[in-house]
Amino acid sequence: MKKLAFASISDLRNMLEQGEITPEQLAGYYIDRFAKYDKELNCAIEVFDKESVLTSFCPQGPLKGVPGIVKDNIAQIERGLSCASKILEGFSSTYDATAVSRLKQAGALSIGRANMDEFAMGSSTETSAFGIAKNPWDISRVPGGSSGGSAIAVAAGLVPWALGTDTGGSVRQPAAFCGVVGMKPTYGLVSRYGLVAYGSSLDQIGVFTRNVYDNALVLSAMAGHDMKDSTSLSVEKKDYTQKLDGSLKENLKIGVIENALHAEGMDPEIVNAIEEALKVWERQGAKISRITLPTLDHSAAAYFIISRAEAASNLARYDGVCYGLRREESTLDKMYSETRHDGFGAEVKTRIMVGNYVLSAGHAGDFYNNAKVVQRMIRYEFMQAFKDVDLLVMPTHPAPAFKIGAFAQNKLQMDLQDYFTCSVNLAGIPGISIPCGFSKDKLPIGMQLLGPHLAEGLIYQTAHAYQEQTDWHTRHPEGFDS
Amino acid sequence: MVKITKEEVLKIARMSYIDIHEDEIEPMVKQLQDVLSYAQRVKEVAHDVAVPSNRRMNVFREDVVIKTNPEPIRSRAPQREGNYFVVPAIIEK
Repeated sequence: MKKLAFASISDLRNMLEQGEITPEQLAGYYIDRFAKYDKELNCAIEVFDKESVLTSFCPQGPLKGVPGIVKDNIAQIERGLSCASKILEGFSSTYDATAVSRLKQAGALSIGRANMDEFAMGSSTETSAFGIAKNPWDISRVPGGSSGGSAIAVAAGLVPWALGTDTGGSVRQPAAFCGVVGMKPTYGLVSRYGLVAYGSSLDQIGVFTRNVYDNALVLSAMAGHDMKDSTSLSVEKKDYTQKLDGSLKENLKIGVIENALHAEGMDPEIVNAIEEALKVWERQGAKISRITLPTLDHSAAAYFIISRAEAASNLARYDGVCYGLRREESTLDKMYSETRHDGFGAEVKTRIMVGNYVLSAGHAGDFYNNAKVVQRMIRYEFMQAFKDVDLLVMPTHPAPAFKIGAFAQNKLQMDLQDYFTCSVNLAGIPGISIPCGFSKDKLPIGMQLLGPHLAEGLIYQTAHAYQEQTDWHTRHPEGFDS
Repeated sequence: MVKITKEEVLKIARMSYIDIHEDEIEPMVKQLQDVLSYAQRVKEVAHDVAVPSNRRMNVFREDVVIKTNPEPIRSRAPQREGNYFVVPAIIEK
């Protein structure tokens, strides 16, 4: 069954419909692949047993019988939910997140819980309490993060789709590092019900797949209004695959964000790969222009402040009272403080502390309030840009996947991995990262395609047209074929 | 210029209900210093822009009682007695 490993969802659907394979065999096939390869990659926190996976099988819908994996900050009923943190030791969810229940209703099967940075805080999947996850293109390197496990599972052919979450780039950056497609939808398009909060005004569930068409299929199944999330948008369900015929929108205008593409420290190989990609769209009839978004250079600073502030508030709930880890102490205050000291990892503690600092009396004016003003400025600059162009292009990452431990002594450099991605969350707009080349070290390169609010359809159409002309997305890491 | 002190770290740790051990203080001072020094640049650029407001609204729904079984939620508690979550005594005898 060699060709199954990297088969597209469309191909799997055909095989299932023709009866060449049953959903049970397919689920078993991928579960076996985890057993074979994941000791080394460590992309799953748990892989479920086949029987329990099949008990929730809904034998109808566009994803009927197609297995995938879910990042472990998204609730799955009666399954563990750890956020890769010790503080949720022994905890299991009592319900399915809306994104998960909608995928199940569409026939999909979830076969596990994907590894991640603790509470989605990180860019390398090195802060997980369940151990470091490894990039299948070079296991001495990180997969990116925080949704690193999800990206690895798709890149190594262990599943055809995976869910991740993106607060400042946590779907797009690992997608770029692992050579797969990663979509962060418009804020509010996918319900956050059942997603464990990090930065609630920025968090959004996103999709990993190996090609754009498959990505559109999965998003179509889970997008749309949900009464259980008051920030979910009142939009009708939509089939995002409809316009994926290889053509571009007529008179498509693409703007390249010059101050991002030629930012200090950009790897020239990535700049070249993106310039080549622009030529592909130009040949297909798109008009390319160069623009500047001045405030973009301050987006990381604003993002640090807003995300940490929201995290400090959201993570106050882990106190050892209602669920998760508890350290037995003589007083309530000691119980809280020891539980949180032992339960949270170093990165999470730092972010909570930064958040409480920027919100505290005397500092909120300089930090939090100004960050919210900068957020408005960034949103404004994007909206102005989208008056002139349909879509924007910028790098996902300044350099290919780095070595494990590379930023252990320089956390600020690690935080700056969000430099090109977090502005998209601050503006609430959709963005996709797609493979657009390889470095001389044979590491994947990704680029971002961004659109105005709810432009997922146009983003998919344009990204799909690119994949019809290129073959970067068809290449796979070696050693995962058998 | 942001200058984080040991006392400040201890104060924020108390506010955050996170115990901090002696050997953890110095690294935390450095990390807060680094990230806040970087982040303070928002002050230099922040100026208000007339952004056409994103639609702000309250989201209402009908106030309907939905019966759910609280037992699965309670069963996750580290310590409980009946319907109560048990914590160390707050008032001393």
